[in-house]
Amino acid sequence: MKIQIVVTGRGYDAAETLPNELTLADDASLEQALLALEEYFPDDRPLPPTCLLAVSGRHLGTVSQFQSITLREGDELTLIAPVAGG
Amino acid sequence: MEAINDSPRLSEEPPQPQDRLSPEELKRYDRQIGPGVLTVAGQERLKRASALITRVGGMGGPAALMLTMGGVGRVVIAHGGEMISPDLNRQVLGSEPDLGKPRAEQFSAYLRTMNRFVEVEAIDHEPDDAEALELARQVDLIIACPPTFAERLRLNRAAVSAGIPFIDAAQWGMTGTLVVVQPGQTACLECLYPAAPPFEELFPVVGAISATIGSMAALEGIKILSGEGQPLWGQLLSYDGRQGRISQINLQRRADCDCCGNL
Repeated sequence: MKIQIVVTGRGYDAAETLPNELTLADDASLEQALLALEEYFPDDRPLPPTCLLAVSGRHLGTVSQFQSITLREGDELTLIAPVAGG
Repeated sequence: MEAINDSPRLSEEPPQPQDRLSPEELKRYDRQIGPGVLTVAGQERLKRASALITRVGGMGGPAALMLTMGGVGRVVIAHGGEMISPDLNRQVLGSEPDLGKPRAEQFSAYLRTMNRFVEVEAIDHEPDDAEALELARQVDLIIACPPTFAERLRLNRAAVSAGIPFIDAAQWGMTGTLVVVQPGQTACLECLYPAAPPFEELFPVVGAISATIGSMAALEGIKILSGEGQPLWGQLLSYDGRQGRISQINLQRRADCDCCGNL
């Protein structure tokens, strides 16, 4: 199955090399999606632990602590690295 | 989605004769009163409302300007320090002749020139915990635009303690986020970030995104204070200007949130 990937927030420029979608096994979990995604990040710029996670608009926590769910075809995985600039 | 009560503090207060709009005020706000915008009653609610905006840089400046021009009766701004040249890629309340001058004083003077029907107050520093709470008890809404999570979480805590709506506006580079909080009914900022995430005070930013996010924060404030429209209660809205993408997330409260878990 395929899911859409949206990475934004602080350091979003690191996401410009990421794919817009990931191909995963059917019924893959959110953890599996994150593990697949981490491979695309440079070693020196991993996803921050405080990065917010949402699937198809549903807030699930942060990269370091989240509610695991089973993903579905066409889901949109959104990762927002916290921003505070004023 | 569960219905969220609008600002209870405002709705409890019956309008007084001085809260009515004068003919001059009706003329000033003529373009924003009517179908699809505000009712006269909504505009009058704005007139007797107050908002604290801190700080008033790239985002807080446009937010304060739009609230002032929109007719929020009392606008309180807080910002320390003096204007410096790097401010001017995004600062709409100051200009080159203001370089080296105190921000709060200059910005409040400018705001007063934009709407004589609005009372503008200036605080020349960033409030600490006690002052933030004291200020929160004197206003109907807080818009937080500081460059650190420590300040944002402080203002969120003050708003939750005072039971008033809170809008967090933040940016980085060409992207920005809004979080709109109704204490006790939606997630608060501390539900998202129990501890302040690391962040650099000298962050990259393009002025156009600052003004965009600041204006969006002001629009949320106008909807909340006027009681018109549908505020983004309990939502995080992210606008990534570089990628041209808008995302919206329904935020979940944390039952163990130190700030709002007991509400």
